Amino acid sequence: MKKSYIIALAVVAIAIAAIMSTVSDSSTYASFAIADEHPNKEFHVVGKLNKEKPQDYHPEVNANLFAFYMTDNEGKECKVLLNKTKPQDFDRSEQIVIIGKMAGEEFHASDVLMKCPSKYNNPKEDIKATTNGN
Amino acid sequence: MDTTIQYIGEELFWGKLGNMLIILAFTSALFSSFSYIFALRTGEDSWRKIARKSFLVHTISIIGIFGVIMSLIVRHRFEYFFIWEHSNKVMPMRYILSCMWEGQEGSFLLWMFWNTVLSWVVIYKSREWESGVMINVSLVQSFLGSMLLGVVIFNHKIGNNPFILLREAPDFANLPFVQMPDYLSKLADGRGLNPLLQNYWMTIHPPTLFLGFASTVVPFAFAMAGLMRKKYTEWIEVALPYTFFSVMILGTGILMGAAWAYEALSFGGFWAWDPVENASLVPWMTLVGAAHVMLIYKARKHSLLSAYLLSIATFILVLYSTFLTRSGILGDTSVHAFTDLGMTGHLVFYILFFLALAAWFLVKNRKSIIIQHEDEKLSSREFWMFIGSLVLLIGCIQITITTSIPVINKLFGLKMAPPVDAIDHYNRWQVPVAIIICLLIGIGQFFKYKQSDSITVRKRLLIPFSLSILVTVGCAFILKVYPPQYYALFFASVFAFIANMDYMFRILKGKISFSGASIAHAGIALILLGALISNSKKQVISQNMKMVDLGKDFPNNENIMVEQRTDTLPMGEYWVVYKGKELVGVNTLYTIEYYNLNRSTGIKEKQFELKPIIQINARMGNVAEPATKHFLSKDIYTHLTYYVPEDKEGASGDWQAPKTHTVSVGDTFMLSNSMVIVQGLNKNIDKNALQLTDADIAVGAQLLIEDINKNTYNAEPLFIIHDMQVYSKEALVDTLGVKFSFGKIDPATGKLDLAVAEKKANKKEFIIMKAIIFPGINILWMGCILMILGSFIAIRQRIKSATTKPVS
Repeated sequence: MKKSYIIALAVVAIAIAAIMSTVSDSSTYASFAIADEHPNKEFHVVGKLNKEKPQDYHPEVNANLFAFYMTDNEGKECKVLLNKTKPQDFDRSEQIVIIGKMAGEEFHASDVLMKCPSKYNNPKEDIKATTNGN
Repeated sequence: MDTTIQYIGEELFWGKLGNMLIILAFTSALFSSFSYIFALRTGEDSWRKIARKSFLVHTISIIGIFGVIMSLIVRHRFEYFFIWEHSNKVMPMRYILSCMWEGQEGSFLLWMFWNTVLSWVVIYKSREWESGVMINVSLVQSFLGSMLLGVVIFNHKIGNNPFILLREAPDFANLPFVQMPDYLSKLADGRGLNPLLQNYWMTIHPPTLFLGFASTVVPFAFAMAGLMRKKYTEWIEVALPYTFFSVMILGTGILMGAAWAYEALSFGGFWAWDPVENASLVPWMTLVGAAHVMLIYKARKHSLLSAYLLSIATFILVLYSTFLTRSGILGDTSVHAFTDLGMTGHLVFYILFFLALAAWFLVKNRKSIIIQHEDEKLSSREFWMFIGSLVLLIGCIQITITTSIPVINKLFGLKMAPPVDAIDHYNRWQVPVAIIICLLIGIGQFFKYKQSDSITVRKRLLIPFSLSILVTVGCAFILKVYPPQYYALFFASVFAFIANMDYMFRILKGKISFSGASIAHAGIALILLGALISNSKKQVISQNMKMVDLGKDFPNNENIMVEQRTDTLPMGEYWVVYKGKELVGVNTLYTIEYYNLNRSTGIKEKQFELKPIIQINARMGNVAEPATKHFLSKDIYTHLTYYVPEDKEGASGDWQAPKTHTVSVGDTFMLSNSMVIVQGLNKNIDKNALQLTDADIAVGAQLLIEDINKNTYNAEPLFIIHDMQVYSKEALVDTLGVKFSFGKIDPATGKLDLAVAEKKANKKEFIIMKAIIFPGINILWMGCILMILGSFIAIRQRIKSATTKPVS
């Protein structure tokens, strides 16, 4: 067999390995209910911050622990412990994605991504700020 | 919409001129492309002349559009949406160009501008190839130009027009505001350039990166021209200098982005495998592969198919990267992707069109470009170069697959999310790729094309090889515990650097003009070495020591609270003091002083101070910008991860200014540390105890306060009318540092006003910061300079040899 065929085969094999590694390393977007069924697996949970419930951040005790309540897209609410500082502008967030796993009644998140309404474009809000009077 | 409104003060002429130029730019590019097709088919020079003139019109139109937008920005013509959206009056004028590329329209324009510049270089320097190359470039220009059209065809909007008026913009068209004839006089200012982009890197990084993206069209167009003209092989030599130029510029652009991220962004490093970063890295890697197989073809007349595939793939991947970053598909997986402007379909069509065009020509000419040849020998340079290109390709495949997760989800309706530890996922693949690449970079030049004398090669490689072993073993004592793959990369990159330096000084006898490749390769080696050392040995010194161990789910203790005070907090080898903050423009600067302990005197001596920034940014949310102290051997990076926004006015004594909540019975509302439930109104107040008469009124608001640990407290502030005067009796919850007063009750709605004050102690002046030491990061920056310099020397040498060659 020619060297070029061997090489081509090797490339195909490695490409398949790359796909498999992506699939096995990838996380899943899920709800709290599904995360609850698989307590040792890490998930991305999309939802909204429950602004009616208290948040807890005591940097003088632990700057790397922030607790809040989140409601996922299926409407289930869960207390979330985030192993990070409280994100700035957290209360303005429109949607949040938490990354982590369920531990009993709580969700232990290693990271959070926020989508803020004004983050990119909100011209209707901005026009008010740039006009005089009305 | 009411079209009879006569608006006051608008300058409509410029918009009409701009629109005319856009249409002209689009049609002239299309016309130019077709004329070049005729020129190629008929071989008639008249067609070529027409095509070239048409392209000149196109070029002038592009410059004209640029000029019109610039003039509108300078004159603050906010009746134009683009101007209002991206500029304002207070913005420093040196950032005016950044306004152009903040918007998608402007960045497409910048891309088109660079394409025209490159085209004229090709037209004048490689006349022979003008028609073939320009058919493709003009076609690309037509597509890019259509992105600016903003016309609606069959209910489908094509492109985004930069000259759309504010009052016609979809967001505003039906607002009462724009129905006022004098709306413009009420429009005091533009929305302004995003302060994040008001950074010197942002004035040079996008133009460089876009020149890099634009320049990938040249090897693509040459490859296509080779197929169209059936001059299957001749294009390679002509295209080589352009290809290496593209490698250099795109590489520089990517590295500038890394430098910007390191200096001004908050993710704590220069590379985070962010999808947008990946999207620019992948085409660069295939481009490097393309350039190297083109060298193989030039020397040995084989690997032609690879040269075609990689040149074409690079351009298609640039289009794909544009699609990823601009269609909005990355959504929540990337921090700096553009939002969806409804261009998804357009961009997909764009990619598929060029993919189909290239595929059709490749398949049609397959017999001529697949060259059967005997296998390369293991002792030939081309064999190792080819292996290197393949390894790069494998790296690309892996990055592309993971980066494309959102696309895969969309195509197959899956719900995959990016890996939880993305950096680890990518590194597991890319570290081995980097190791192999470094080894190949090290040995490559010592082999000759076709066949080398293995004994000579071995002899020559002995010195750099043993020297690298020595360096690695020596450094092992400093590096200490280290995973084996990192030792391997350390050795490989040191070897690549030493071998290339050795080749340059010993074999090339230090002749700079021939050493371009050696210098560039040594640069790449240093970039990888610097990246390895600074990332793997980075040390987070802001460890939170007093933290309670919360188990393995909460390993992160990298952020530390620093209160504003005079005593110092130990942090690594330093002691840190937070001195205070000052407001400069839109930025709040937090002064952090670093002290060292002088062991002989026992006194802490101030070493330096850093001023990380919080930018008050209404559009992006407040943004933290790190501050970094640069030393020769390391950087100290300091970044605020949490801070308390400015106090409101009206605070007195121990208490912050009260906040009023208008609520009904049954409502709940939030305080900084707890939740308040309005349970009811108590009308049975013991008036005697309060020394009130029966004619007076006293109502209590029954409040239940619950903190996050579910501890509950009761409070009952009173609303009192005594002798026709309104009073409030406060209720204090000492443990939470909160007091309530009941100021008003609306008999009609039953709503009450509760004023809540919280203790200032609930809000101490402090910051939470993260400090990281990056050792050896200067090795990386030095590598960048070497890589750029080396590429430049190599390109100059290639142009020289190409121009002198026809004689021989």
